[in-house]
Amino acid sequence: MRSPVRRRLTRVLVALGLISLIALPAAAPVGAADPVVLRVGTVQDLDAMNPYLTEYYVGWEVFGLNYQGLVDFGLNAEPIGGFAKSWTQDGNTWTFKIDPDLKWSDGTPATSEDARWTLQKLLDIQKGDRGYVGVGYLDLYLTYAAVNSVSAPDPQTLVLTTDYPNTQILTSYLPILPKHIWEKRDINTDANKVPVVGTGPYQAVEWKTGEYVRMVRNPNYQGPTPKSYQDETFIQFFKDEGAMTEALKAGDIDYARNVTSDQFDSLKSQPNVVVAESTVAAEANAFTHLVFNTHAPIKDGGSSTSAVRDVAFRDALGYAIDKPALVDKVLGGHGVVGSTIIPPAMSGGLWHLDPPNVRTFDLDVARQKLDAAGYKLDASGKRLDHEGKPINLKMVVPSSSTTYSQSAEFISAWWKEIGVGVTVQSLDPDAVSALQKPPEADPPGKASYDVVIWNWAGDVDPNSLLKNATTDAIKSGSSDSFYSNPRYDELFALQGKENDQAKRKTEIDEMQQLLYDDAPYHVLFYDAALSAWRTDKFGGWPLSPETGGLPFFAYGTAGYDYLTAPQAAAPSAAASAAASAAASPGSSEAAVVATAAPSAPPASSSTSGSGNSLLLVVGIILVIVAVVAVVGLSRRRSAAGEEE
Amino acid sequence: MGSRYLLRRILQAMLTIAGIVVLNFILFRAMPGSPERMSHNPNQSAAARADLRARWGLDQPLFPDQFARYISTTLQGDLGQSYKYKGQDVTEVIANRVWPTIILFGLGELIAIAVGLVLGAYSGWKRGGVVDYAGNGASLILYSMPYFLLGMILLVIFATALGWFPTAGMFTLGETYSSFSDQLLDFAHHLVLPLAAVSLGLIGQYSILMRSSVIETRSEDYITTATAKGLSESRVLRGHAVPNALLPTVSLIGINLGFIIAGAITVEVVFSWPGLGTLTQEALEARDYPVLQAIFLILAVTVVFANLVADIVYGRLDPRVRT
Amino acid sequence: MSASPVLLEPTGGRTRRWTTRAVGWRSFLSRLLHRPEGAIGVAIIVFFAVLALAPGIFVGPLETVTNSSGKRLEPPSLQHLLGTDNLGRDVLNLTVHGARISMLIGLLATVVTLVIGALLGIVSGFVGGRTDTVIMRITDFFLVLPTFVLALIIAPIVLDIIGTGEILGIRTTLFVIVIVIGITSWATTARIIRSQTMSVKERAFIDRARVIGSGPWRMMRVHILPNVTGLIVANAVLIFAGAILTETTLAFIGLGDPFAPSWGQILGASQDAGAPGLGAWWWYVSPGVCIVLVVLAFTLIGGALDDLLNPKARRRR
Repeated sequence: MRSPVRRRLTRVLVALGLISLIALPAAAPVGAADPVVLRVGTVQDLDAMNPYLTEYYVGWEVFGLNYQGLVDFGLNAEPIGGFAKSWTQDGNTWTFKIDPDLKWSDGTPATSEDARWTLQKLLDIQKGDRGYVGVGYLDLYLTYAAVNSVSAPDPQTLVLTTDYPNTQILTSYLPILPKHIWEKRDINTDANKVPVVGTGPYQAVEWKTGEYVRMVRNPNYQGPTPKSYQDETFIQFFKDEGAMTEALKAGDIDYARNVTSDQFDSLKSQPNVVVAESTVAAEANAFTHLVFNTHAPIKDGGSSTSAVRDVAFRDALGYAIDKPALVDKVLGGHGVVGSTIIPPAMSGGLWHLDPPNVRTFDLDVARQKLDAAGYKLDASGKRLDHEGKPINLKMVVPSSSTTYSQSAEFISAWWKEIGVGVTVQSLDPDAVSALQKPPEADPPGKASYDVVIWNWAGDVDPNSLLKNATTDAIKSGSSDSFYSNPRYDELFALQGKENDQAKRKTEIDEMQQLLYDDAPYHVLFYDAALSAWRTDKFGGWPLSPETGGLPFFAYGTAGYDYLTAPQAAAPSAAASAAASAAASPGSSEAAVVATAAPSAPPASSSTSGSGNSLLLVVGIILVIVAVVAVVGLSRRRSAAGEEE
Repeated sequence: MGSRYLLRRILQAMLTIAGIVVLNFILFRAMPGSPERMSHNPNQSAAARADLRARWGLDQPLFPDQFARYISTTLQGDLGQSYKYKGQDVTEVIANRVWPTIILFGLGELIAIAVGLVLGAYSGWKRGGVVDYAGNGASLILYSMPYFLLGMILLVIFATALGWFPTAGMFTLGETYSSFSDQLLDFAHHLVLPLAAVSLGLIGQYSILMRSSVIETRSEDYITTATAKGLSESRVLRGHAVPNALLPTVSLIGINLGFIIAGAITVEVVFSWPGLGTLTQEALEARDYPVLQAIFLILAVTVVFANLVADIVYGRLDPRVRT
Repeated sequence: MSASPVLLEPTGGRTRRWTTRAVGWRSFLSRLLHRPEGAIGVAIIVFFAVLALAPGIFVGPLETVTNSSGKRLEPPSLQHLLGTDNLGRDVLNLTVHGARISMLIGLLATVVTLVIGALLGIVSGFVGGRTDTVIMRITDFFLVLPTFVLALIIAPIVLDIIGTGEILGIRTTLFVIVIVIGITSWATTARIIRSQTMSVKERAFIDRARVIGSGPWRMMRVHILPNVTGLIVANAVLIFAGAILTETTLAFIGLGDPFAPSWGQILGASQDAGAPGLGAWWWYVSPGVCIVLVVLAFTLIGGALDDLLNPKARRRR
């Protein structure tokens, strides 16, 4: 009686078993002359292949590989030959020379006409109705450099003229596009479908959105090294750092950008993996801050209390922020305590100012200052502002990173202790952006917030960061503090044109001090960038900058040119250790831990967690069996009770 | 089957789809921030913004102009451009991600149905066997578990701890395959865990269904007669129990489609399976509303269509539904 | 029509309205508890309900990043029975407080769903005719929608309308989730209530009442409602389970509130932080097990109630 059903069941099970047998021992198929493939992992998803349309770091990395800028960045962010091999400056005139043998990746000769066409296109769009190119980040470099005309007297020469003498053009990102392909396209909207044609070291031939970009070597590339080691470069996008770290451990990728501090610690003991913490590269050139809404009162919007417009209030609150604790608890120790808005990582610490009047964490001092400024405590322990209202600040954080919400929790707890109420809200970044628009901007906004915690990323040049606190920035919508100080505006204009570095430094120092004293921002910390890479497939990992930097996602993509075949263990560790020993002041060393052990089986997890996991597995199975038995039996009894 | 019935059902389906399109339009316009947020540029001039509004047709009145325009573009298959993937059409972005989802969930449903029906039949016939208890208990627990939890557990056990299967993706990246079967093998290797998660999650419903159908059938008088006459068990099963279970199974498939979407999204996310599910989560994170709404539209229309097909098949199979 | 064991008929007079003919609520409850699955289910629910009512009594105030009690990612030990998360917070503490949030959301979402569903179901079933057709059309429409994706789209909109802050000490994000679940789940309830209403409508005493001259609203309230209550309760149990599952999934995807962690939010946070890869199993297994237990409990109770109310399974053999 049982047989037919049983037979069927067994048949199904056998079939499943066969399928799993086939699936299980799938070894990674490797052919004879396989291309050398570099796989880079990141959590950020590429949004656009058109350099003028991307808004993400990963997009900049990709166009840095696809194309060359007019001038490129070397490992230490120094200007090196890009599309143009060399240049001279004579007052307002720049003359760039292009190599006569330069070709596009499709074989077409590349000449100054391509450069002229690209830059002229940018200038034309800027002068037109639209006013900006694509998403408006890259054409700004032409504005900073005050370029007013561009011409190509012969195929190897490009001439630029500027409004006033400056060297901004040497620190600009201006990817040069092939005219013969782009003259039929609209640079503001074109998706730049693969395959891409450029003069950079690798061009994208495949892009699976949300998954990866595949880039192959440009046979016509003219780079600093004779020939880079890898034939192909993949950039793979992961859902979260956990998946990326797993992939690195398993050897599925060779480089993991921005792992979390917990993963960083767990990777330290992995064989063939180097971890590096950099306080000078990439994300380190940024500052996480708390910004106050100092705008004048806005009808149906604006700040909830006049207190945030009072320097004394803001200054007092600055003493109620324990920055070292934030770095320790929120960043896991991977970061630098913040002070002024120009990060020490920028240009090797050239512009950063350490203010002499640093605020320390002292709740009593904070209380005293609040009392002195006229913010008395009421009966229930809340501070009243000058209008007699209890102060309750609305703090908004973007949901893009837990760093912000965690910092918000700490800060609101400290402020509550001194009587300042805080309500924290987490919104998505676009909503926070829209929230920060004042009535003067277009489109106008209500700016209904008191405090925002966010992050500004820096550039090679301090210009872009300084701009945000100018009065002009309020109207253009990029100001988040609505700070307006005529002296600051004056200095901004001066330093923008200043060619004497020493004088410029003095001007920028004064600006940083102004902001520190007036405290529209409290700079919390400068993040450290945490990355890791494997040494069993590749060697010669360069650092950018060479002291304490990281190989990739640096200012330029020079790092990709320096990889070599895997080296015998120690050299990479020794090189970086030596480099870190010779750390220059103002930039901390990179903590590098390398193990020289031969490769372990990549697929298994080698942390101590694996033993626990097995126990857990057994435990779970036992629990499941137990519960199943109980539940199954209970149903049985009730079912039996049903049919009498 | 009556053609009037068929016509009525099709008409109902069309009406529902129309309703979905209207709902989509309302949602689109009610979105926080308008399509203008496509440009995040703080330096945008007023003229440029006006130009953008004109291009999007936002300067026209909501009804009927904008609505009509929305209907016509949607019918033409133009679902707008993605906010996040600049310059790319929404249809393009979605088209790239459809097949992985279809493969994963198509296979998952098939396996779930096959195994579920067999398990259900066995436990229904052998009331009280070990398979019955275990199956019942396991089904209940699986049913109570959010899909992604099942996926996480499978991942931790089989991929991270034991290392038998890869932890993410559909293929090994950057691999050069010496033959098609190698590529297929790699694909299968990546497919096993997510497929297991999906199937296990769906099995329960089908096995419970089949089980109660078998129990019900078994107690019918004519079965007793048939068995007394000497008909074999499997003939009885095949002849009566299975067809009786088919009806509700068919409608269950249709209903399931609507419910497994939540599971689809999360299971794909857990395994980094590059399908519609991960696309939805990415679009949510990036607040890429055009893509979200297109996914909603496509899924809704698919569910309506699936239900329609299920109803028609149901009508074919069940002579009682023929008005 | 099968005889419902809990059919309530008014036996005259306002004060005696709730006297029952057949079985009382108390004996109903005891019958429920007599079934093993009912007993297990109720026990689990009571356990979590007690935890949810006063989590502070058991584990103290909710640990936040500012007052975390342990080191990061500690495995379970005597001090931290369920280990700690990546911020050093005690996972037991988080899980118990998460019970409060999850159960609260489940409860509120169930209430919202029931109110909408029962209201529309009763009105539709009782009034019939045009109203019925219109309401059923809308209901069918909602049944077909992929409600999860709808929820993903609606949540930011509702958040925008409601604004920020707290209502009655509960964060508005929680309300948003509740509203979103309610909007997307009422359709099944409406359907079920409607069928029951239609069957109750055929009772003789309804005609008697109509002859006497009671208005439709009164009839719905006094006659229909008591007789569908049993069904509503059985349905509520399943809705609660579904609400918890939906909230968990939404939170996992990223729509949770990091300042009011529900079980789903804890799961999502653990996944984001890479807990599976880091081997920190205690972090996601704890809320996971709780979710499964609660949903399982509701499913068991729902199954038991279903058997009690619909003894169709009573067979001759």
